[in-house]
Amino acid sequence: MKPPILIIIMATIMTGTMIVMLSSHWLLIWIGFEMNMLAIIPILMKKYNPRAMEASTKYFLTQATASMLLMMGVTINLLYSGQWVVSKISNPIASIMMTTALTMKLGLSPFHFWVPEVTQGITLMSGMILLTWQKIAPMSILYQISPSINTNLLMLMALTSVLVGGWGGLNQTQLRKIMAYSSIAHMGWMAAIITYNPTMMVLNLTLYILMTLSTFMLFMLNSSTTTLSLSHMWNKFPLITSMILILMLSLGGLPPLSGFIPKWMIIQELTKNNMIIIPTLMAITALLNLYFYLRLTYSTALTMFPSTNNMKMKWQFEYTKKATLLPPLIITSTMLLPLTPMLSVLD
Amino acid sequence: MLKIIIPTIMLIPLTWMSKPNMIWINTTTYGLLISLISLFYLNQPNDNTLNSSLMFFSDSLSAPLLALTTWLLPLMLMASQHHLSKEPLTRKKLYISMLILLQLFLIMTFTASELIFFYILFEATLIPTLIIITRWGNQTERLNAGLYFLFYTLMGSLPLLVALLYIHNFMGSLNFLMIQYWIQPLPNSWSNIFLWLACMMAFMVKMPLYGLHLWLPKAHVEAPIAGSMVLAAVLLKLGGYGMMRITTLLNPLTNFMAYPFMMLSLWGMIMTSSICLRQTDLKSLIAYSSVSHMALVIVAVLIQTPWSYMGATALMIAHGLTSSMLFCLANSNYERIHSRTMILARGLQTLLPLMAAWWLLASLTNLALPPTINLIGELFVVMSSFSWSNITIILMGINIIITALYSLYMLITTQRGKYSHHIKNIKPSFTRENALMTLHLLPLLLLSLNPKIILGPIY
Repeated sequence: MKPPILIIIMATIMTGTMIVMLSSHWLLIWIGFEMNMLAIIPILMKKYNPRAMEASTKYFLTQATASMLLMMGVTINLLYSGQWVVSKISNPIASIMMTTALTMKLGLSPFHFWVPEVTQGITLMSGMILLTWQKIAPMSILYQISPSINTNLLMLMALTSVLVGGWGGLNQTQLRKIMAYSSIAHMGWMAAIITYNPTMMVLNLTLYILMTLSTFMLFMLNSSTTTLSLSHMWNKFPLITSMILILMLSLGGLPPLSGFIPKWMIIQELTKNNMIIIPTLMAITALLNLYFYLRLTYSTALTMFPSTNNMKMKWQFEYTKKATLLPPLIITSTMLLPLTPMLSVLD
Repeated sequence: MLKIIIPTIMLIPLTWMSKPNMIWINTTTYGLLISLISLFYLNQPNDNTLNSSLMFFSDSLSAPLLALTTWLLPLMLMASQHHLSKEPLTRKKLYISMLILLQLFLIMTFTASELIFFYILFEATLIPTLIIITRWGNQTERLNAGLYFLFYTLMGSLPLLVALLYIHNFMGSLNFLMIQYWIQPLPNSWSNIFLWLACMMAFMVKMPLYGLHLWLPKAHVEAPIAGSMVLAAVLLKLGGYGMMRITTLLNPLTNFMAYPFMMLSLWGMIMTSSICLRQTDLKSLIAYSSVSHMALVIVAVLIQTPWSYMGATALMIAHGLTSSMLFCLANSNYERIHSRTMILARGLQTLLPLMAAWWLLASLTNLALPPTINLIGELFVVMSSFSWSNITIILMGINIIITALYSLYMLITTQRGKYSHHIKNIKPSFTRENALMTLHLLPLLLLSLNPKIILGPIY
């Protein structure tokens, strides 16, 4: 894609999200969402093949439907409250419609079906933007309307998302689908805590974005999209295999890595609100997630996957691919746990 | 406590920056020096604990375990030298760094004063162990072993996290030293039963309890020697240590809830001891013997009498040293014949008489010969379980007999009798191996002169 066009499109995507996050008028928020969606369609279609077109179409259809649902919720809210300002939504129907629309945009269960298929059809870089940047805008709106969200609905969605994210990823070997199911599961964790303590949702989102960015960048270094191509990495980039090991364990939420911070904090907030069974169930289902991350690390870092002899004798060149900010990203994705007491500044 | 933690952290730059022929020497020596520092903590005031800081403390229960952990690192390094000799330098340094990282987490776990801190480090010990087992094990079954190890432990410990956060909410703080003054009795109700289960299952899986012990034979057998040593000697004791700490919060419900686990442990120790009699795999035999000894510890901790706690602590330290020594001996066999099958290497006494002496002493301590500390531990546990219920003496007696049977079976099969024909050209014992066995055995024998230090806080 020609650089000027790429710049305009990237700027539109960022402006769209910024408009969503910074507005207090519902119409402008809808405008922001639409700008964001329209501008990201060319990014999703960078490779001009039928699979990418299918992915972009699916993305467009779901996001457009979700925006329309959001608009309907906004209109009902307008009818009952008489104003367009983003604040507490007193009407339950409007609140449920908005929640449904936003969870559809995020890819929470039961609206999760588009996430693996869209993520699989696009390039790694587009997938990275899809799974990280695109989550910020809906999450910010959920943050703003969090006092009025129906807890039962969102908790049900969260629980089923964690289950779907865990079980769906078990049979995958394609890395993009694995990251898609990982995104579904993490969104589930975030949705579970919004109504109780939205700050923890922001914490989880931040750490999830850091970890997903690092993971995608490591995959992009080797241009690997399948487990098989990842397993050849021990020969070309031996250090990166150790990074993938630690990053996968961090995504799975193992202490003492940073991926454990959001899980710990979320379970703490939920138990403070007298919910015991739900966090236990979510924590145990997160083990399913850990299983397929661990399988990735087995094939990448801990064993020598069956490969032809040609694969074992590659030259180790200097890294020529751009890995922007990779070291700080990896460090923040894995070693942030001792800084957990600093979370008290958020109060 | 930083005077142990910071030197241990510094061991990692030491490995990476030492000259290639000095990595083993440097790390072993400095590891031994660190273990000397940890011995200072054995000097405990009678009615209090040694509090070093807000986060770390050591009392008579954790100090012997701390000494055991720091003592074990140089021993693990000595044991690993041979099987890593053919690996490239970076991988050797990675292996040593994993061992040191594990050591660091274990030290912090045993001296943690807050329960959530303890939990985080308890889980953190899983990662280096997983990497050691899966990356440096020798057979294809090691992948399955790592998986079983990780997931059994995590399934048990995630409810523990929820339970600890709930108790934190309820009590205000989870610091050991404060919590002992705020304990309220835990009445019998369904939710309290689940709380009890959530707190204890993590440690039951780690010990392991008989029904949940499936990960242990896999992990112990497939791990390389250092992995087996640290697993058997220290990681199992994490479960016992955790149980002893957390049962202070769970009274008097433990009297009611303990019955199923007592049944499982009492029956399990006989079952696993009997399986030992039919094992062909040497490491598997030692692994099942670990399950059997740890079942005694579970029984002791669940009875909650002063003598049983003393017995549990003594048994943990004694079993740590004995089991680690047995794994080292099995490894010395494995390095010579590259097989774990017992009958392939028979009659070693004629070929390696000094090693046979170590085999004899190790087997004798395993079957709890007086006056070793193994006996003190087992005897205290047997006596306290007899006072809990008279009938358990039958089961305990059967267990002691079967333990003696399989220990002697292991000794006789590997050492006595006519040697097998193909074994004549094995290498003689290295000085390193003899030093390793001595370093295991000396603390064991010397502690029988003054067992007071390992008898725990009740003494």
